[in-house]
Amino acid sequence: MHPLISYAAKRILTYLLTLFIVVTITFLLFRLIPGDPISSFVGQLQAQGRYAEAEKAQQIIEEYKRMFGLDKDLFSQYILFLKELLRGNLGPSLIGFPRPAQDLIMERLPWTIGLLGISAVIAWALGLVLGCMLGWKRDSAYDKAFTTASLVLSQIPYYLMAVILVLIFTYYLKVLPSGGAYSPKLTPGLYWEFIKSVIEYGTLPALSLIVASGASWLVSSRFLTVTILAEDYLHFAEAKGLKTSRIIKRYILRNALLPQITGLSINLSFMLGGQIVLETIFSYPGIGYLFATAIGLLDYNVINGVLLLIIFTALTANFILDLLYPLIDPRVRYHG
Amino acid sequence: MDKLPGRIAGTFKYFSKLLAGNKKLKVGVAIFTTIIVLAIIEPYVNRLRLGNRSPDEIGLGGSYEPPSPRFPLGTCPWGRDIFGMLLLGTRLTLVIGLLSGIVATAIAVLLGFISAYKGGLIDHALRSFIDAFLVIPTWPIFVIIAAYVKILGLIEISLLLALFSWGGAARIIRAQVLSLKEREFINLAIVSGMRDLEIIFFEILPNFAPYIIISLTNAIMGAIFAETGLRLIGLGPPLLPTLGYLLNLTLSGGFLTIRPYVVAFVSAMLILIFLSLNLINIGLEEEFNPRLKKVTGL
Amino acid sequence: MSEEILRVENLKIYYKSMWGDYRVVDDVCLSVYKGEIFGVAGESGCGKSTLVEGILRLVKPPGYIAGGRIIFEGKDLLGLSEEELRRIRWRKISYVPQGAMNALNPVLRIEEQMIDAIIDHLGYLPKEKGREFAAAALEAVGLPHEVLKMYPHELSGGMRQRVIIATAIALSPSLVVADEPITALDVVTTRTVLETLAMLRDKYGITVVFVSHDMAAHAELVDKLAIMYAGKIVEVGNVNSVFYDPLHPYTRGLIEAIPKLDKKTIKPIPGLAPSPLEWPPGCRFHPRCLFAIERCKKELPELKEVGSGRLVACHLVQG
Repeated sequence: MHPLISYAAKRILTYLLTLFIVVTITFLLFRLIPGDPISSFVGQLQAQGRYAEAEKAQQIIEEYKRMFGLDKDLFSQYILFLKELLRGNLGPSLIGFPRPAQDLIMERLPWTIGLLGISAVIAWALGLVLGCMLGWKRDSAYDKAFTTASLVLSQIPYYLMAVILVLIFTYYLKVLPSGGAYSPKLTPGLYWEFIKSVIEYGTLPALSLIVASGASWLVSSRFLTVTILAEDYLHFAEAKGLKTSRIIKRYILRNALLPQITGLSINLSFMLGGQIVLETIFSYPGIGYLFATAIGLLDYNVINGVLLLIIFTALTANFILDLLYPLIDPRVRYHG
Repeated sequence: MDKLPGRIAGTFKYFSKLLAGNKKLKVGVAIFTTIIVLAIIEPYVNRLRLGNRSPDEIGLGGSYEPPSPRFPLGTCPWGRDIFGMLLLGTRLTLVIGLLSGIVATAIAVLLGFISAYKGGLIDHALRSFIDAFLVIPTWPIFVIIAAYVKILGLIEISLLLALFSWGGAARIIRAQVLSLKEREFINLAIVSGMRDLEIIFFEILPNFAPYIIISLTNAIMGAIFAETGLRLIGLGPPLLPTLGYLLNLTLSGGFLTIRPYVVAFVSAMLILIFLSLNLINIGLEEEFNPRLKKVTGL
Repeated sequence: MSEEILRVENLKIYYKSMWGDYRVVDDVCLSVYKGEIFGVAGESGCGKSTLVEGILRLVKPPGYIAGGRIIFEGKDLLGLSEEELRRIRWRKISYVPQGAMNALNPVLRIEEQMIDAIIDHLGYLPKEKGREFAAAALEAVGLPHEVLKMYPHELSGGMRQRVIIATAIALSPSLVVADEPITALDVVTTRTVLETLAMLRDKYGITVVFVSHDMAAHAELVDKLAIMYAGKIVEVGNVNSVFYDPLHPYTRGLIEAIPKLDKKTIKPIPGLAPSPLEWPPGCRFHPRCLFAIERCKKELPELKEVGSGRLVACHLVQG
């Protein structure tokens, strides 16, 4: 088991180190941005005649300055930043002032996880299985038709796919909504009407992701399958007279799984960034939309929080997949 | 050096043969060239139609004018010419794409080369850096910088885009250099007394050319992809009405309910750009990796 | 006198291409008897591997079977359905492929890859029974049962080869067809594999068809030898008589090309093997034959019997 432990140890170290470096860079990034958003925010409030709020804002700002040591030197700021980060405190947000940024993020997080998580998994699994089936039935009419279609679809960026789907389903066919996560007439709760509404509103965003990325998974899975079919061990498996179902499950899919899982980890970071645009197009109340709104308002804490969360998720997912890899590919266990 | 004219002619013949043989490549290059031509003639076309005024000027026409001979795609709420902006947007998007693509590829080739050639610690450090770059979602960081940088003109946005898209290409180049290092014909060239520059140009570079072109198309696509995405969340250089800008404009400007086909046109143009570049990409990869041809079977 | 277990009659296997048909196996006739090791020798490209694929009915497009019959235990294999074939494969005829190094699925344990064939042919099998079968097969080829739990990349080339052979005999087939089983192996491992194959015949009574371009291996192992050239069989006979008294000039050339310790020079056969797209007219060997006469250039010699069990296709011998 020893090589396995050293493999895991190396990965853990790299993971923690990268996390640390990224957090530090984010910190520097924000401290180096010119301008003082807080004063400008207070100024905005005053200009709108919301003096009572402006005064309260000023108090909280003093508190904030103290908490994050904005009156001290850079290094102390850094330490305080880390301290607060570990406590999960990002400071007050500007969007939902005076609510702290982390509350806003936590509120929106489930929507993003739901949308992204479900779509990503469906797209990946569907692509893998369909691609394998098409690869198995090479050069049949099905294969040519579906593969060409997938090749074309996979080249359309997911946000364009979203636009096209909205055009078709919301404006021409008028069957699906294109804004929000659920009907504005309902209040959230665990009842069927609500759940149905969530599914209805989530269909188009999910579909955009599934069609766009599913198509590219299909193409790569088909390519893998065809490559595997040319391998000697496949030839031998057929000579052995194995049942087709077994060949597909244990010889093709099992071997296609490895590169597809590696692909998943790279794809994930791409999709996390993509959520920002997707959610904005659909006004979907996830952290992507939150990020886009925060940028417009210069809400540092929220921006900071979402950014760190996204990077943390990407790194962690990668880390977990890395650890999973030796379990799937026996060759890695000993040379990994 | 007297071999040069012959070599250039040879390269030309090689590329035309390449083009003729591969259907995907042919179609891709055809579409892309058409788009480039559109972009080049845009200033003249728009001058013919609008005189000295730019299509994105406010008040060219009335608000939400329906399509007419003067404004084939109508106008936006502030009277801007949609058709003219479509052409202008194509040109700007392509310019940004090409500029970032070239810079990104240059960086990738340089770093990939150094990394593979030097090996050792430098290689290890660079490689970890590139890998981290590819794992971490860099697009949000790009968005933040794009939002806060004081000056954001054509050059600035292109450079910024390039900075974020060189990673993938660097990996490919590095892998290719590594594999070439092993190959014997380089040693053969050294032993047979060819000068360094000759070796680089006549032995190494031909093996690289396809990968450089593939990296270039990838970088261009990545840049256009990122820039358009940036526009869709409302950011980006306000004075550069790219296709992404137009898309965002039509999406949020109520066009979806009034004249949805306008959105379709803009999307179609973007899709054509991506499609043609991808076809060129796949076509080239098939040519230089003949195994792929048998496998994709299309 | 043992019975005939496999008879190939006028088998033709062609490959379609833009320029015409590649006539890789062109009217081949063979007779293999029960309990013997039947060797098929010839240069690379003469059609040996395609012949094997044909017997196992594993020919894939653009290859196709253009004619002939393959009679195995009384039934014509070419007339059977996919499902019937699947049932015959492995239980009756099994296969040791070329490039056995890579014939094992890298992500499955040896155990599973040996047992899955058994399960898919015999129906459900309790785990223990399956392991017993596999362990017994491994023992037969001289491998310890610890190998069962291992992955292919943990084994050496020779061990993998023997695992393949073990898998091939796990269901006690009547016929094992081995396609170039020793080609990529070192001398020591080659010896082990040859011994294993001989043991299959001696201890288990399994008939083996041994295809290889290694003449020395044929000399050591097989009982009967067929020489194949340009898609056709040119000589067949008991291995000793073929070696001591080769009749066809090609056979003579092959034997003389074997390096021996006391030979100072090796005499390779001049010229290159012809292309299956355009076989030479008349006797296909005539362009490279030192003894060719006029008749050889025009008339294709038939494979005729010239003595007890000896067949040859040469005008010079037949007269």
